[in-house]
Amino acid sequence: MTARDDILGAIRAARATPARTAEAIAAEAASLLDAPETTRPGLAPAAGDLADAFARKAGALGTTIEHLPDIAAIPAALRRYLDTHGLPASLAVQPAAEFAGLDWGGVAIHRDLAPDEPAALGLALCGIAESGSLVVHSGPDAPVLLSFLPLHHIVVLRVDTLLPHLEDYAALMAKQASPRNAILITGPSGTTDIEGSYVRGAHGPGFLHVILTRSTD
Amino acid sequence: MSHPIPQPSFKARAEAALADRTLKLAIDRTTGTAEAKRAAAVAAFPEFDAARRRGRAIKDHVIAHLDHYLEQFERNATAAGAKVHWARTDAEARAIVTRICLDADAKLVTRAKSMLGEEIGLPHALADAGIERVETDLAEHIIQLAGEAPSHIIWPAMHRTREQVAELFRAGHQPPPAAEDPATMVQSARRALRAKFLGADIGISGANFLVADTGATCTVTNEGNAELTTTPPRIHIVTAGIEKIVPSTAHAFALLRLLVRSATGGELTQYTTFHCGPKRPGDADGPEEMHIVLVDNGRTRMLGDEFREMLRCIRCGACMNHCVVYRQIGGHAYGGTYPGPMGSVLTPVLDGLAGSRDLPNACTLNGRCEEVCPVGIPLPTLLRAWRSRSWREGLEPGTLRAGLGVWAMLARRPALYRLASRIGVRALRLFGRGGWIARLPLAGGWTRYRDMPRPPGRTFMDQYRRTRAQKGGRR
Ligand code: SF4
Repeated sequence: MTARDDILGAIRAARATPARTAEAIAAEAASLLDAPETTRPGLAPAAGDLADAFARKAGALGTTIEHLPDIAAIPAALRRYLDTHGLPASLAVQPAAEFAGLDWGGVAIHRDLAPDEPAALGLALCGIAESGSLVVHSGPDAPVLLSFLPLHHIVVLRVDTLLPHLEDYAALMAKQASPRNAILITGPSGTTDIEGSYVRGAHGPGFLHVILTRSTD
Repeated sequence: MSHPIPQPSFKARAEAALADRTLKLAIDRTTGTAEAKRAAAVAAFPEFDAARRRGRAIKDHVIAHLDHYLEQFERNATAAGAKVHWARTDAEARAIVTRICLDADAKLVTRAKSMLGEEIGLPHALADAGIERVETDLAEHIIQLAGEAPSHIIWPAMHRTREQVAELFRAGHQPPPAAEDPATMVQSARRALRAKFLGADIGISGANFLVADTGATCTVTNEGNAELTTTPPRIHIVTAGIEKIVPSTAHAFALLRLLVRSATGGELTQYTTFHCGPKRPGDADGPEEMHIVLVDNGRTRMLGDEFREMLRCIRCGACMNHCVVYRQIGGHAYGGTYPGPMGSVLTPVLDGLAGSRDLPNACTLNGRCEEVCPVGIPLPTLLRAWRSRSWREGLEPGTLRAGLGVWAMLARRPALYRLASRIGVRALRLFGRGGWIARLPLAGGWTRYRDMPRPPGRTFMDQYRRTRAQKGGRR
């Protein structure tokens, strides 16, 4: 008997009631998600728009937020950000189509990430208002490490991709093939491992800056 | 058994812990914050009770159909390109992981904290195979430098004060940190571990959830060390207990809302990541191979006995943060992988009752753990179940059996009982000084850290009868 047979056999031997059909199990699993609004936090402000709710949640976690009318305004905003933090005018940029045609002005951009990359710019697939989370999926134009190696992680989030709740993202994910990594980023990296006191920038980015844009045109 | 209960005995370990003032200080600093933050998070989430009922129902559903979901998970993970392995015991799990490492000729392995990895004794197995292991979670990094085991499932280095961490980092980091404040020390660890992340041959993680309908594993961290562990190396290995299964991503989210609030008082951890198979063709980064080791190690046995409900545990740590015993003695005194109330239920399953029967006894049954458990595990009831099993199996020592035997005999004979307790009360008064009994023969363990009120010289029954007689006259 293989370990697999033994484990599955032991599970079946411990069952008190007869096994049910896959359909019956799936129906019960679905019913366990009924009325999601009864077991999740409401949005604040309840009647406000999702961008407000997202900004409130993300802001409370130490994420900084900036509103821009469109993606063309990004290079100038980045220059200001790098200046403010005393960083060189240099930036790792995600190889996303949305960033391809931008005029970077005085900022030198590159694609390869250094082990101690000071700052990187990425694009979120969507945002979740309930938790103030950004979602990124790995892919040919979306390296995972871009979200983890830099000290400053700057993320462009389109307002029209915002979702109210975690279940809305789960539903979106269920409709597409899973990427290798689907990542919810909820605030800058932090730790409370030394005496419970909170310190930012444990291994991932110590700074998370979100640029909310109305469109990517 | 990967974790034979170390000598000396639990009593001796607890004694030593109680006498260690620095330890008490360290535990208080973290558990105090954790308790306050959890309370605030629950207060800010009026739906918590309903969410808890849902979480409990989801776990019960999965436990009732574990075979179905494990097979579904295996199918989907395999379709995504991962290789799924099954391990009946800790030894089998260690052998599978070690074999993968040796076959890949791995020299350096990074590991993102996983209690299951500790449970199966992975750190020692890697060392025995001559493989360098680097722990990447900050707390695990601290205890690796100290050569210790975790003392808490969420904050493994809870027993260390900042001064002690500074000492370890000064000895272990090049250059040493310039100051002792947590921020400077965190920076120092960030620098020290960067090169290791990028130079590792294999990254090993655990899983908070195994998602059946996608075949993905899910990790949650605050530091971002899991993704830095699982992305750069050529191979990613996941070790996970079979009870970690959830039907879908949406079910995982329902449990995450409970897990994070109960563990740290946050709503979500900074990074919630689903890992589904190895890197896809054309992906910018990611491992070429992904292995998932599904570990039983006593879990299927629990399915059939009175400890089945313990399989709901989502490893949040709230029960230990709220446990008066844990807060006095810390995690190491428990002697197993898992400390606190949940550890006292699990350690006898994992390591055998004979060596750990003191754990279910080291509990005041005050019920705080069950109150805060986000999946409603009746921990005091399960601890009592171990106590009675220990009694049935004759594992209690002779003095206790004899003492309780005499008590049972007397209790069935009321007159004798009253006489015996009067003798006992008088005897106690002999040891009393100033109303408090500071030392008691045969009970030094109790009175060393507590004072027992001196009894009033008459038994309760004596006084009750006197009071009744007085009142009776006036009625
Ligand atoms: S027993 Fe409950 S409170 Fe304790 S770690 Fe498990 S889920 Fe959390």
